[in-house]
Amino acid sequence: MNKPSTQQAILVYTLLGIALIVFMTPIYLIASSSVKPSPIMFQKPPAMIFEPTLDHYRDLFAMRPFGKFIGNSLMVALGSTAFSVFFGSIAAYAISRIKHKRMNDVAFWILSMRMFPPIAVVVPYYIIFKTVGLLDTPIALIIVYSTANIPLTVWLMKGFFDEVPTALEEAAAVDGHGLISIFWKVTLPLAAPGLAVSAVFCFIFSWNEFLFALMLTGSNAQTAPVAVMSFWSSDAVQWGRIMAGSFVILIPGVVFVLTCQRWLVRGLTMGSVK
Amino acid sequence: MSEITLRNVIKRYGAVEVVHGIDLDVEEGEFVVLLGPSGCGKTTTLRMVAGLEDVSDGNLSIGETRVNEVAPKDRGVAMVFQNYALYPHMTVRQNMEFALKPLGLSAKEVARRVDEIANMLGLSELMARRPAQLSGGQRQRVAMGRAMVRTPDVFLFDEPLSNLDAKLRTQVRLEIAKLHNRLGTTVLYVTHDQVEAMTLADKIVIMRDGHIEQVGTPEQVYSQPDNMFVATFIGSPPMNMIPAQVRERELQANGLALKVPPRFEGRLAEGQSVTIGIRPNGLSLAGAEMPNAAPARVEVTEYLGNEALLDLRVGPHELIAEVPALGRPAPGTEISVQFDPDAIHLFDTETGASLSR
Repeated sequence: MNKPSTQQAILVYTLLGIALIVFMTPIYLIASSSVKPSPIMFQKPPAMIFEPTLDHYRDLFAMRPFGKFIGNSLMVALGSTAFSVFFGSIAAYAISRIKHKRMNDVAFWILSMRMFPPIAVVVPYYIIFKTVGLLDTPIALIIVYSTANIPLTVWLMKGFFDEVPTALEEAAAVDGHGLISIFWKVTLPLAAPGLAVSAVFCFIFSWNEFLFALMLTGSNAQTAPVAVMSFWSSDAVQWGRIMAGSFVILIPGVVFVLTCQRWLVRGLTMGSVK
Repeated sequence: MSEITLRNVIKRYGAVEVVHGIDLDVEEGEFVVLLGPSGCGKTTTLRMVAGLEDVSDGNLSIGETRVNEVAPKDRGVAMVFQNYALYPHMTVRQNMEFALKPLGLSAKEVARRVDEIANMLGLSELMARRPAQLSGGQRQRVAMGRAMVRTPDVFLFDEPLSNLDAKLRTQVRLEIAKLHNRLGTTVLYVTHDQVEAMTLADKIVIMRDGHIEQVGTPEQVYSQPDNMFVATFIGSPPMNMIPAQVRERELQANGLALKVPPRFEGRLAEGQSVTIGIRPNGLSLAGAEMPNAAPARVEVTEYLGNEALLDLRVGPHELIAEVPALGRPAPGTEISVQFDPDAIHLFDTETGASLSR
């Protein structure tokens, strides 16, 4: 590759700078507002220099069991991620390997699960979970999120499995390994970047989801985003707590993505077959 | 016991039949090479033996056992793949150990076996590397090592040398021959390279279009080809083929008349259409008065060092002759070329079958 010229570098960094401002401004506002004393929160122009306070965070955990809601969120997000990645991978492997003329239809059918508008199924879900007694439980949310996450995982993982050379699986078969051993020790490790990508998408979707969490949970299984919303009541909007809650919500997602990042490296299959 | 037996083995993909009921016996300890042009069904046959392809019909046995429905892992075979198929996420040592895991050996025994084979193949220095960090020749040896650690009953090789450069190929070919002498394991080896086949095989199986054309020792397929396909496929440059007719105890072709060699007498009918086959080294330069000689014009000479190849025009026929390089005629020269009667093969022009037996 040619070394970029100075003009190109300036252009690239300018664009990056603009993107950074666009994406980081809301996060800056959340972070700064969460430590701003309430009286100066809506000053114009915004107060850039002020004495930071942790009052909002203290209120956040003192007034409501916010730790519990974070725990719910984590349980639901991790549960749905694990469930979706596990079953999605198995399904994707079957779709990738089984040669059948209707296999594409099956794959499309799975994808079509993601096409319905969520609002359309909220009420049916509500009735179903109420009937079976799962309303306001993390399991209900895990199931609902997995119906969206499994199709995504299947399609992502199918692409990764397609790229694992079948010769490697054949070699493992001749080396004396059975189907499960081959999948577990040869195919899956080589599709690890796909697992990481799937896990990140599943986690982020489940972690951020609001509509189903609002409708299907009450005080018991409420997730953090819904809990933050509850600071917005008819008589007052507690901006400080909302900002503090929002900032806390940001953290696990960032940690999870950074953890998975080292697996997001492609090129693991290089050097296996010519 | 580890002999391989194929009886009327058929392979179909949907309605298309690619292997048409072949019979083959591979004796215990024998080195058998499946040889043929691309698409002849040799790799499919090998993969059926490995269990990577289903057998559509017929019987496939390893030892005394019919293995049509036996999973690859239970067949006691080891295979070296054309593209090596090394596990990229494992080191050389892990690649070799992986083949031993299903045997449930102790860690000590696994290490002993792996080290022994690694020593034999000169891989000891490379054990901690991953396949991506190896050269083509090294990968090839790891692939062989992985097959060898299992001490299988049967070795299967699928064009193992085709990804190596010419020099390395010769070297590894020799290694394989030595290993077979040493281990004495039954080997089924697929290649399209006749030199590999001739140098390695106890027995060569020549295939075309899903049929076996001939089974025999390298000497047999070279000197007693069953048909025109085998005759032209084996040998480089290929055997010269001249359409002719039997007339008055002579083989008459356009611009050429050869006496019917004594061993064919009584086997040919007057007026029969035959094809004369003669290898380049069956042709020699001669005086015009000699029997079985014909006038020829040298079109091109190819100098090979010890020998030279002459592209000759004899009447309408283009022939290749192999002659001593010393004193070779110059291009454009009119010469006389002599046909060694002992080197003449005759084939039925219609069926292609040899008339020698």
